[in-house]
Amino acid sequence: MSGYLQFSGVTKSFGGVEVVAPSFNLDVARNEFVVFLGPSGCGKTTLMRMIGGLDQPSGGDILLEGQRVGAPDRRRGMVFQSYSSFPWLTVGQNVEFGMRYRDDLSEDEKLARRDHYLDLVGLYEFIHTYPNRVSGGMRQRVAIARTLAAGSDVLLMDEPFGALDAQRREKLQVELRAIQRRDAKTVVFVTHDVEEAVFLADRVIVFSKRPARLLAEIDVTSRLGADRPLELRDGAEFFALRNEILRLLRQAGGDEE
Amino acid sequence: MAEVAGRMAEAPATGEAPPTVRRRGGAGLWTFRRALPRRTETALALAGSLAVLLIWEGAARTGLTNPVFFPAPSTVLAALWRMLTQQNLLWHAGISTMRVWTAFAVAAVMAVPIGILMSSYRAFGAAVEPIIDFIRYLPVPALVPLSIIWFGVGESTKIYLLWLGTFFQLVLLVSDDMRRVPQEYFEIASTLGAKPAQALKDVAFRAMLPNLVDNLRITLGWCWTYLIIAEIVAADSGIGFVIWTARRYMKTPEVMAGVVVIGLIGLLTDQLLRALHRRAFRYL
Repeated sequence: MSGYLQFSGVTKSFGGVEVVAPSFNLDVARNEFVVFLGPSGCGKTTLMRMIGGLDQPSGGDILLEGQRVGAPDRRRGMVFQSYSSFPWLTVGQNVEFGMRYRDDLSEDEKLARRDHYLDLVGLYEFIHTYPNRVSGGMRQRVAIARTLAAGSDVLLMDEPFGALDAQRREKLQVELRAIQRRDAKTVVFVTHDVEEAVFLADRVIVFSKRPARLLAEIDVTSRLGADRPLELRDGAEFFALRNEILRLLRQAGGDEE
Repeated sequence: MAEVAGRMAEAPATGEAPPTVRRRGGAGLWTFRRALPRRTETALALAGSLAVLLIWEGAARTGLTNPVFFPAPSTVLAALWRMLTQQNLLWHAGISTMRVWTAFAVAAVMAVPIGILMSSYRAFGAAVEPIIDFIRYLPVPALVPLSIIWFGVGESTKIYLLWLGTFFQLVLLVSDDMRRVPQEYFEIASTLGAKPAQALKDVAFRAMLPNLVDNLRITLGWCWTYLIIAEIVAADSGIGFVIWTARRYMKTPEVMAGVVVIGLIGLLTDQLLRALHRRAFRYL
């Protein structure tokens, strides 16, 4: 496994309380879609935030292409569940904001990129609309387009579809997986939804309840393939994987929601 | 429009008919928590104010109240006209407005950056909060003698008192506005490559702006309260001075007219700032 993104002996405690136990090791390959799955509050979000530089490990290292990650920067883009888009900017301006601190692009290039990524997430017609005028699912797409436009290599997503209804969720999952494949992005995606994890991931990392302990790594792509059409969800192998993971969580005593 | 289009784009085409709106007959003005049309609300507001004025007028005319203490609205109106045409009331109102805005501007220009700093750097906030909290609770009138000792009875005393009454309140409000900006906004900005100062300027300040403008509007109102105190204590101009002089000669209609003018200026400014708020923050 190529060590594009590496956790090496990472520990984390907040005020003396362990969040990660005992120490966490993981290698993520370039362009891999990794899902952190575990019960709510288990510490998986903290692990992801440490990749972004939003939290610091108490011990160990997180390496991106062999370099220890530092303060947040544009290479590691973040999509949150809430407050994901800026309400005072239109949809188009929100996406442009992703390139605000890029001096390497000309104004024309920025506009071209904005249009490209708006189109990619299917929001071009809402370019002049304010976020409070579009649905929650569209706001999440705005955030994804903004992070892509920024040119992040690694997308960090913290339950980005958590607040959406089931239909929108499925649609966005299909879109996200397609975008990740097309644009060749490395994604670390946090969720407590088992089906979401199986559908999206190349590899699911299953965590115990807090303090987070790695319960299992499940290679999804070797069993479901890399293409993920919606129909996959009805297949026997999908259910087998889902049940396997649910059983794992149950045995570990995590109260899965 | 956009909203409708948005829903069409996202929802699967199930061919759902729009839900029919059913109006139950007889649901009128007194339905609990029911929203009213704007025009009805305006009409009710006017009717309410008019009713109070009419009752007041009637009470004064029928001799129910002593006109020396409680003159009729028509008498107050006449006094207002006399003051406007013969006693330079507009000039006094202008002086007062200038004082309020000067002190307010000074307070705001100081309070906004300091308030933002207090929330951005907790060390600074922790250091200054107790002092500000202490001064905030000092009643402004109690500080009048001290400010006269310091500044005499000139213009600076008035500005100082007004500033005193607003700055310490405002700085805490601003600090609170900044504190309430979601941490996610900072984190998004930083993962898009913003340095802390850029995140502050481009994101946090924009996020807090609607609340900030609201708080400025409210604090401006307080300024008027302290203005009257300042002008009563030491002034030879301004509406406070006019009111206080009229009181000395028991010209109750003029006292009331002065109060009405303050109310009107306040109402006008408030409505103006509200309209500005609506225009500037259409996205809310």
